[in-house]
Amino acid sequence: MAYPYRHPAETLVISEHFGNPEARTLKGWEALGGYKPMRTALGLDRAEVVNIVKASGLRGRGGAGFPTGMKWSFMPKKEPGKPHFLVCNADESEPGTFKDRELMRWTPHALIEGCVVGAYAINAEHAYIYVRGEFFEAAQVMARAIEEAYAAGYLGKNVMGSGHDIDITLHIGAGAYICGEETGLLNSLEGRRGEPRVKPPYPAIAGAFRYPTAVNNVESLIAAAHIVHHGADWYKQWGTEKSVGTKLFCVSGHVKRPGNYEVPLGFNFREFIYDVCGGTPSGKPIKAVIPGGSSVPILTADELDIGMDYESMAAAGTMLGCGSVIVMDSGTNVVKQVRRMVDFYAHESCGQCTPCREGTAWASKILKRVERGRGTPDDLDTLLDISDKMSGKTICVLSDAAAAPIVSSIQKFRDDYLALMDAGQLAGAGGR
Amino acid sequence: MSAEPIRAGSEYDPTSWPAAVQNPGFVGDTGEFAGLTEADVRGTAFIGERPADGGHPSVAGTLPYHTATKDPQAPIFHGPYEDRLEKILSRYPDRQAALLPALHLAHEIRGYLSPETQDEVAEKLQLPPAYVRGVATFYTMYNLAPVGKYLIQVCTNISCNLCGGDAVLEAFLKHTGTELGETSANGLWTVIEVECLGACGFPTAVQINEFYYENVRPESVPDVLARLT
Repeated sequence: MAYPYRHPAETLVISEHFGNPEARTLKGWEALGGYKPMRTALGLDRAEVVNIVKASGLRGRGGAGFPTGMKWSFMPKKEPGKPHFLVCNADESEPGTFKDRELMRWTPHALIEGCVVGAYAINAEHAYIYVRGEFFEAAQVMARAIEEAYAAGYLGKNVMGSGHDIDITLHIGAGAYICGEETGLLNSLEGRRGEPRVKPPYPAIAGAFRYPTAVNNVESLIAAAHIVHHGADWYKQWGTEKSVGTKLFCVSGHVKRPGNYEVPLGFNFREFIYDVCGGTPSGKPIKAVIPGGSSVPILTADELDIGMDYESMAAAGTMLGCGSVIVMDSGTNVVKQVRRMVDFYAHESCGQCTPCREGTAWASKILKRVERGRGTPDDLDTLLDISDKMSGKTICVLSDAAAAPIVSSIQKFRDDYLALMDAGQLAGAGGR
Repeated sequence: MSAEPIRAGSEYDPTSWPAAVQNPGFVGDTGEFAGLTEADVRGTAFIGERPADGGHPSVAGTLPYHTATKDPQAPIFHGPYEDRLEKILSRYPDRQAALLPALHLAHEIRGYLSPETQDEVAEKLQLPPAYVRGVATFYTMYNLAPVGKYLIQVCTNISCNLCGGDAVLEAFLKHTGTELGETSANGLWTVIEVECLGACGFPTAVQINEFYYENVRPESVPDVLARLT
């Protein structure tokens, strides 16, 4: 069941035990059928594990949607003296996203299983779980669960008598959104500034400590363990042809029942917002919805008759991202919220690339001026020009992410910008 | 699937939903899980007491307690803390990888990372002091100057902002009598704005030292502060 509200339209695969404190403990987890998926995986050939996940079509749940099995299949053949690493990306910090925290604090043993399955699949003996520093409580729950798993022989030498050694180490971040980018995360894991790396080489060739590495999101690893246990066809019963399975959607903002919901990919977006989440608490109509976290283009209320899957979202000009739905009702000042998001990107830009470092800072300043009623229509052209120069021109996509809300809001809510300018003129705020 | 907004009379009918349960100990809206206590949500009984030496090496690096008692003069790599660092070092192929955990450890004991503290960490890990400075200043969770006994971080990013994050921030400033980022005269409070805490479904999210306080509203601020003192 998802937390803190349930809905009959949900399909509960990975969130079934949310809200059940018993599921946290090893004993409770075993009683609920836990550690069976891990046993299944360790009884299979490594290549078989990769093939099952590949055949299921599972796509990475961290935002980019890259097929998990394919990522694992890119790992080279293991050479002596060259260890492989699995890194679990639990640096959840995309505004609007709060699913990995729930997964870790309610079902820590599920993530341990996912890490073991992933590590086994890519022939790694060590998995690092990189948890964002602010998640002190979730990390504490994970820590206790890992200690339990070691004591019970689910981790360490000769895991469950399989002859394989698999270790997990919890690594705690220190507050940097950019460390959610996989190569920024790897640099941070190595004790560096969390600045993303130029790719190639990709992590599969030169990842953590320059060794072959797979970086997977928390939700992807947990789903993969279920898939290996139940089979690819079992998972394919949900979702669409290209967006397979169930996904956790985090809903926040102006909805009656915010929280996490697990529904099959392809679920109708309008039905999801109005039925599952209860619509707006104020009863006001919806003005705008961000479907996949602050980094994706905004949709208007007229654009909600689409499926919640990777392809449908792309066709609507936005992205599914990490499934973080932010709802804004008609009382929302869109310009203020865009400015707040751009402030965030300006704060979190690592500063390596000029278009991002300068672009986010200037866009933030211009938006502040517009918000105060001191903007002119020329400012919108300047913002679009800056956004264009920020897109596709940097090492990572933080810069593109910052441009997405600017461009989409000017396209779809231009009147909101112009109204602020008119109000400013009336109030005598003047030009610049 | 139909695009009907709400199907009245069905299980989707909002009138059939149970009332929300708000703020059991400020750990958020437990919604339909009305029986959950604060300890259930935080998992405190399960976690238990964490030993200062870090416990099992796999998780020795996970304890950046922002403890309320901090001593800027205390030794950092001594006794159980020395053991903890050794355990951390055993988990990585090189010493540099222990930098973030080592800085967390120093931060836990001293409350902030002075230039001298950063130099001590550099020496211990055999890294250039300037390199450690570069890393310590990159991450927002490392305080580079002393803060109050309680560091109150209020999320004002989009999801919390839509639900009144700015007003919650104002309320904390008002009730602590401080300006943004400044420490109160009694040394108790420092209030800052923070970027998304990843608890967007429970707005407004506030982190005070290590703990999250969720669904905080301006009128709940006096209760939150009273709980701490």
